[in-house]
Amino acid sequence: MEQNGILPGRTEGKATIRVRSLEPHSAEFTSEQIGTIADIAERYGSGQVHVSARQTIEIADIERSAIKEVFVLLNGNGLYAGSSGHFMRNVMACSRWCLYNVFPLSDLARKLNNLYAEQKLPGKTDISLSGCGFSCTRSRTSDIGIIAQATIEVNADKCTECTLCVREPLGCQVEAITLSDHSVSVDGDRCIQCGYCTNVCKFSSLVLKGTSFAIFIGGSGGITPKEGLIWKSVASEQDVVDEIAGLLKCYSSVAQKGERIGSVIERLGLDSLTEVNHG
Amino acid sequence: MDEKASGFSLEMPKVGVIRGVKAKDVELVGGKVVNLRICARPYSNIYSVTQLRAIKTVSEQYGSGKVHLSPRHNFEIPEIRNKRIDDTLKLLYVAGLFPGGAGTSVRNIFTCPDWCSQSVLPTQEIGKMISTNFGDRDMPNKFTISFAGCVNGCSRPHNADVGIIAVGKVKVAKGNCADQCNKCVEVCPRQAIEKNGGKVLLKEKNCNFCGKCVKACPQNILTFASTGFKVMIGGKEGASVAFGSVIADFVKDFELLEIIENVLQKYQEKAKFRPASQKKKERLTEVIERLGLESFLAD
Repeated sequence: MEQNGILPGRTEGKATIRVRSLEPHSAEFTSEQIGTIADIAERYGSGQVHVSARQTIEIADIERSAIKEVFVLLNGNGLYAGSSGHFMRNVMACSRWCLYNVFPLSDLARKLNNLYAEQKLPGKTDISLSGCGFSCTRSRTSDIGIIAQATIEVNADKCTECTLCVREPLGCQVEAITLSDHSVSVDGDRCIQCGYCTNVCKFSSLVLKGTSFAIFIGGSGGITPKEGLIWKSVASEQDVVDEIAGLLKCYSSVAQKGERIGSVIERLGLDSLTEVNHG
Repeated sequence: MDEKASGFSLEMPKVGVIRGVKAKDVELVGGKVVNLRICARPYSNIYSVTQLRAIKTVSEQYGSGKVHLSPRHNFEIPEIRNKRIDDTLKLLYVAGLFPGGAGTSVRNIFTCPDWCSQSVLPTQEIGKMISTNFGDRDMPNKFTISFAGCVNGCSRPHNADVGIIAVGKVKVAKGNCADQCNKCVEVCPRQAIEKNGGKVLLKEKNCNFCGKCVKACPQNILTFASTGFKVMIGGKEGASVAFGSVIADFVKDFELLEIIENVLQKYQEKAKFRPASQKKKERLTEVIERLGLESFLAD
């Protein structure tokens, strides 16, 4: 039986278990959890673990007969086996300690991961959350990619040309800011809307006006790489959760078996995934 | 502790010590805590039990008891007190871990594990070769190498500066297939296989060399005629997306290192500063866009 999170191994009678974290959140483990995984790998596996491409940890070469025991150990520690097959995969999220994210997305990641952890869907579906336009978690090539964006207000008259926002080490990473004649301007084409400059500026010349989330859908990596399309831009975390719920409902009703969101868009168009069309 | 007296060399570049602060309101310049991004050796993607325990100890003793997994097989230990960074690094070096995978260098090699049942060729040893040869080498800009054992490409080879995919050419044995299983037709993602009674037909034009049919066939009717690696360059993912273009197909494992070395050297030679920029040089995809693939590869 092919169960979610148990991957076939190369050795007969052995399997690889893919472990994802419910607490603290999908991309983060506590030191006790790492200890548990190390103990399992030593006792039941080959003593090696693989860190997967979607922030899960795979414990290799576990005897199929020992899988039940391993599950008990995992579940006691906020961990569980999952993120394979036609299920919602592990929600990718960026580090909540990163300097450049607009704000930490760990709460949203935990919420989504808990909501959809065991949800069966027509095809593989992955959600990636990025805290800024750099999109380290590959939001633009995920089935559902969320990128947090900051709206920056420029008060050019308040600028004292302290150069903090343009020079190393805190200066703009994409060189979107130019200083000239006691004023500051931001190049909209280059700006990735991370909002970091608003933390750096000490004179309220660059101010954080608001935040929003851009939702990309239909991207994929792997065998048929595709770039996602911008679907919507929403204001709050709750809106993101609601939009994803609506999207998954439509996707489940229109998609054929094994069809990913990108293929549905190719076959039926973007509108087929909008809730209005489904009453 | 005196570095020399302790016997450990701390001369490795500290590119992995990323400036990190606990929250945005903590003092920004010269933050008191740092995030540490660590890479494993010899394999970039495999951590042994000892290495996991070292990470656990470090995060408990010097950090906040949390670790973050990066999207490229790195562990990130946040909130390490700046004063204890040397002690932390010593602990990690002993376990075969070191800070890296950040800044303008060859990032952690993205690769798949040997135990995956899908891979056409075993990847771990070649991944190790690539990561010991090229890992953390200084580059004009960020440089990513992704290495996938099959065309499923979990490690995103299409979106890497250098992406490598193991591929296998399928051959159909003479004679009829006695089995009624039809598995080869079912697993093929490209409808490249037709089964007519006992006759298996391979439409080579449709084949994408994933080898799924070979793995599914219980009768050894379908086997690999040859296996090798496809090399793509110039992909990227992040603030913008680009897909790599193929520069070599069905090359052997020992040829890979030379090809990658060649691309790295060409990139180092030909990368310029971005337009209107004094700080940042181009990514590989921008160089290729400016020069064209052919003149990039030419001398």
